[in-house]
Amino acid sequence: MSTSTSTQPAAGPGRAAIHNAASPGSGPSFFRVLNSEFIKFRTLLSTTILLASTAVVMVGFGALSAWGTGQFADQAASDPEAAAAIAAQGGDLVVTVPTSGVAFAQLILGSLGVLLMSSEFTTGMARSTFAAVPKRLPAFVAKLVVVIVSAFVLTAASTYVAGLVSVPILDNFGLKLDLASSQSVKLLLVTSAYVAAVAAIGMALGTLLRNSAGGIMALVGLFFVAPIAFQLIPGDFFEEARKYLPGNTINPLTAVEHVPDTLEVWQAALVLGAWVVVPVVVAMILLKKRDV
Amino acid sequence: MIEAEGLTKVYGDKTAVGGVSFTVQAGQVTGFLGPNGAGKSTTMRMIMGLDAPTAGTVTVNGVPFARHAAPLREIGALLDAKAVHTSRSAYNHLLAMAATHSIPRKRVHEVIDMTGLADVARKKVKGFSLGMGQRLGIAAALLGDPQTIILDEPVNGLDPEGVVWVRNLVKYLASEGRTVFLSSHLMSEMALTADHLIVIGRGKIIADAPIKDIITGKGHTRTRVRSDQPDRLMQVLAGTGVSVELQDHELLEVTGLDQRQIARSALDNQVLIYELTPLQASLEEAYMELTKDEVEYHSLITTGAPVPAQSGGN
Repeated sequence: MSTSTSTQPAAGPGRAAIHNAASPGSGPSFFRVLNSEFIKFRTLLSTTILLASTAVVMVGFGALSAWGTGQFADQAASDPEAAAAIAAQGGDLVVTVPTSGVAFAQLILGSLGVLLMSSEFTTGMARSTFAAVPKRLPAFVAKLVVVIVSAFVLTAASTYVAGLVSVPILDNFGLKLDLASSQSVKLLLVTSAYVAAVAAIGMALGTLLRNSAGGIMALVGLFFVAPIAFQLIPGDFFEEARKYLPGNTINPLTAVEHVPDTLEVWQAALVLGAWVVVPVVVAMILLKKRDV
Repeated sequence: MIEAEGLTKVYGDKTAVGGVSFTVQAGQVTGFLGPNGAGKSTTMRMIMGLDAPTAGTVTVNGVPFARHAAPLREIGALLDAKAVHTSRSAYNHLLAMAATHSIPRKRVHEVIDMTGLADVARKKVKGFSLGMGQRLGIAAALLGDPQTIILDEPVNGLDPEGVVWVRNLVKYLASEGRTVFLSSHLMSEMALTADHLIVIGRGKIIADAPIKDIITGKGHTRTRVRSDQPDRLMQVLAGTGVSVELQDHELLEVTGLDQRQIARSALDNQVLIYELTPLQASLEEAYMELTKDEVEYHSLITTGAPVPAQSGGN
């Protein structure tokens, strides 16, 4: 069928070679779509702003929290009972310092997840995206990979930097934070995975609602309003259901020891997993079916 | 080649496209003409697999769009000016599109130069005028050097220079043997650009014929006749399928007879005529005629001028 002439890039007459050869017939393989989604991700100023704000919030809250914890420890020094309580907890008091900003990081990166997909629809970009990748799902999965990986890496990196900033502050108050301890490493990884999950939920919401404000409101409703509402509504059902909200899985997931009347770690992991998988699968089914 | 078979799109209780069938041939510019809301854009979105047809099928080179191994290299489309994230630069937009098919950077620069966007390529699309947005859309359509090009209202918002540029571009692409499918509600533009015309109104195909057939109206040639006995001539010419209209003193407009038949009747009846001018309708007029009475002209045009398989441009 190809009678194209004038503008054909100089390439051999043969069929597709390896991707770097830019062969005339190469189509949207997953690797190429992933590359495209990454280009789209890094060429938006709004993305950069949201990522930078997350880093600032994480590091800032880490430092604040280090200072606050130090103050508390100082006060405790004049109060033998508090001092004993702190001593009994070992390093637990300081180990959560680097992840203090996670409540805000999840909101920002969750919103980023919403925006990356909803903006495709609000700007009309979706027509270009899905004309290039008419099977649609590879583009969705590629974007999901970009969202999850970037949220994980950014949370992990900014948690680590927050830790580096917190160590000397805590040191001033005579508190020791070991960033290489297994507890610190576990907290960093679990928190980053949790934020990545929130970003994935955000992207699913953005795909389902195709609207930036609606998607972000749904996310805020799920993570911030629902837990409070469930607490205020009387009744055992809501008290029990509250544990299964996605935002309430982070505490059992990062707890050093199981706290009574909360989910076990494996339960919390399953619940969070379901909160990711169900919306993502529904979003994929509808994305495939709906008109762009 | 684009082939639509009984293509239908229903939104709720509104039928946007009602079972249209047509073929867009390679090697010529096919215009898709119809008023706003006639179903042009919906049809084009269905060709591109963005909207799923309620019924019917549409294929590009024999295969539904989504099943092509390299869609952008097969079909390029401008469906909507600014189908772009407006916070991204034109260059990055094209780069991201190109990446899906491993189209080299060199080609991105080529289409930017080709569409005259070099000066603004690094700027955010947000600040683009409608015309620049159209150029970017055309650049994106050409990115994969496709065999089939679909352009929805490409001259919207272009300045006169841009209009001429699009006209020459699509003619050039068709001359290379590509399939070019171009929609517009601007009839004057179609008259200058298209070789073949598919006219759509209220979701139905009203006409599908070479543009010159549509303009001459196929059997509805009109002739301006001046005679010093207009009343006599009107009686002489009267017959089935013939309409004669007295337009002015001694001036008649005759529809349904060609010039030879009119002259013969006048001679036979000893009526002097001193002007006999075939009138070619403008596309506007032809279009108004077509849409004025859909049903009659639907059968007339489509049976009178079967879709020319031989095609071949002019």
